[in-house]
Amino acid sequence: MTTIHVQYYAILREQAGKSAETIQTQTKTAAALYDELAKRYPFSLGRSQLRVAVDDEFCDWDAHLVDGCHVVFIPPVAGG
Amino acid sequence: MSAFEFSHIPLDTQALQASLQDPGSGGYASFEGWVRDVNEGRQVKHLEYEAYEALAKKEGQRIVEDAIARFRVRGARCVHRVGDLRLGELAVWVGVSAPHRGEAFAACRHIIDEIKHRVPIWKKEHYVDGDSGWVNCERCAAPTLDASNQAHDHTHDHTHDHTHPHPHDAKQHAPSGASHQPLAPDYSRQITLADVGIDGQRRIRAARVLVIGAGGLGAPVLSYLAGAGVGVLGVIDGDQLDASNLHRQTLYSLHDVGRPKALLAAERLRALNPDVDVRPYVQRAETDTLPAIAADFDVLIDCSDNFSTRFLVNDVAVGLGKKAVIASVYQYEGQIQVLQPGSACLRCVWPTATRDGLVGNCAEVGVLGPVPGVLGAMQALEALKIILQTSSPAENAVVLFDLQTLQTRRLKATRSVDCPAHCAVNNAPASDAPDTRLSQDNSPEIATLALAQARGLIIIDLRDDQEVTGAPLHVAHHHIPLARLLDDSSALNTTSGYLLVCAKGMRSSAAVSTLRQRGHHNTYSLVGGVVGLGAVNKESTR
Repeated sequence: MTTIHVQYYAILREQAGKSAETIQTQTKTAAALYDELAKRYPFSLGRSQLRVAVDDEFCDWDAHLVDGCHVVFIPPVAGG
Repeated sequence: MSAFEFSHIPLDTQALQASLQDPGSGGYASFEGWVRDVNEGRQVKHLEYEAYEALAKKEGQRIVEDAIARFRVRGARCVHRVGDLRLGELAVWVGVSAPHRGEAFAACRHIIDEIKHRVPIWKKEHYVDGDSGWVNCERCAAPTLDASNQAHDHTHDHTHDHTHPHPHDAKQHAPSGASHQPLAPDYSRQITLADVGIDGQRRIRAARVLVIGAGGLGAPVLSYLAGAGVGVLGVIDGDQLDASNLHRQTLYSLHDVGRPKALLAAERLRALNPDVDVRPYVQRAETDTLPAIAADFDVLIDCSDNFSTRFLVNDVAVGLGKKAVIASVYQYEGQIQVLQPGSACLRCVWPTATRDGLVGNCAEVGVLGPVPGVLGAMQALEALKIILQTSSPAENAVVLFDLQTLQTRRLKATRSVDCPAHCAVNNAPASDAPDTRLSQDNSPEIATLALAQARGLIIIDLRDDQEVTGAPLHVAHHHIPLARLLDDSSALNTTSGYLLVCAKGMRSSAAVSTLRQRGHHNTYSLVGGVVGLGAVNKESTR
């Protein structure tokens, strides 16, 4: 099990009902983590409509997750 | 002889005094400001004075002429030095001649106080320790900090004539409003900053900034940039003011509802700062119009409220090699990104997830007014950083703000090798590519019409007559069906660039490859063709 700090932005925050949480997971990649979380929360956006950042850097969905890392899921927003 | 002047050479006080002598004056008062050796605890070695002369002279003249009228004195003048001054040297001189000493003293005091408060003059202090700094002269306005006060009382000792007003009467009767208000823009508060100074103010004055969207983000952007004295400020917005805008769009008033926002903004900004050349465009930013408008500006600021416009601004900025500041908000959150030539752009970060309707806008999900206010103020600041050539952490990154928790997060972004916006620029001829660091792989595809237009390509619709009638492409310059073009490509010259468009991008791609083999290297195919554009158009009009 690895410990991951997760942060949600915009519509994901609303759908998760929280802006951040620390979770225990067996998933190894950002994609697998999102898919796991999508079973828990009613996320309306697929991975292709989002970006993920690990430790404050945008990365690909196959990015490897390490214990204690910080993962941000973020959609683009349009309001102005 | 002007009531207020600047002098680059030492002042001749005797000549100045003589210029005020007249038989009707019974008194003369003067003030001299000298270069002092200490300011705010630091040892000063010498000083440099600089003024925004055109503006400062007018304001100075207004002050002196106003004082002559208000205090009913017979003559008054002020001369201020500019340039390098040694310790003890005379920096500013005020002289007043009047029938009685009271008016002379009062007018003299009033003039020097007003000059120090209102006239844009700055001094650079060079300290004994080798350091130096710009100081706004208003700081020296406090009486206790004044250099020296030499009052020469030449009053004849005669009976006071009460038909003349006492100076305190004059003060009491003086209009307290308009004449005390600065009548010209005063940038002293920002010029005092080490990162601005006189050079920075000149840069701001020379800057040309285009703001796309005059809404919640645009209102603070426009206000701050007009206040800062940006030389040319363009504002594009096709909307009319709605009452629901007013909680966040602070440029407008309730009685303006129904009028075009671009015009309302221009009116307000011209009143705020008549120095600024405000150019309103009452239209929506579109692929066929934005490149031509944007070509006239240095910095683009995206304050739109939809993805289509936001990506269009990005593409035009990348295509034309302009700098840009892009921001957006969602409820309590905001994102901001600064584009410099060669840095990561919006499409580097969001190559695919970009349809309106996926994530709500302000109308759909609600917003508190200060949220776009905060992000817009940040955009204005980022624009000023660009103008002042200060680097920003919002380059090659997306900076996220959660204004509910007040948390900030900077996510590092890198230029994507597959970025459609940058690829389109890469493919352009090397001679006019905006960023010479880009590779020149001459790939034959272009992602958007905006990029093609930004590159000045001539657009040729390759579809057959029936297809064109069914779904016309209005931006096309020519309609030449594929077979005819390949049969006779003499319509293409070698000096122009061409974008070929078909329904889905297959025929255009094949045509480009054939034409390039024939020597027409400056030909490109629109990825996805007209069908791809259709999806975009539906989004932009939703």
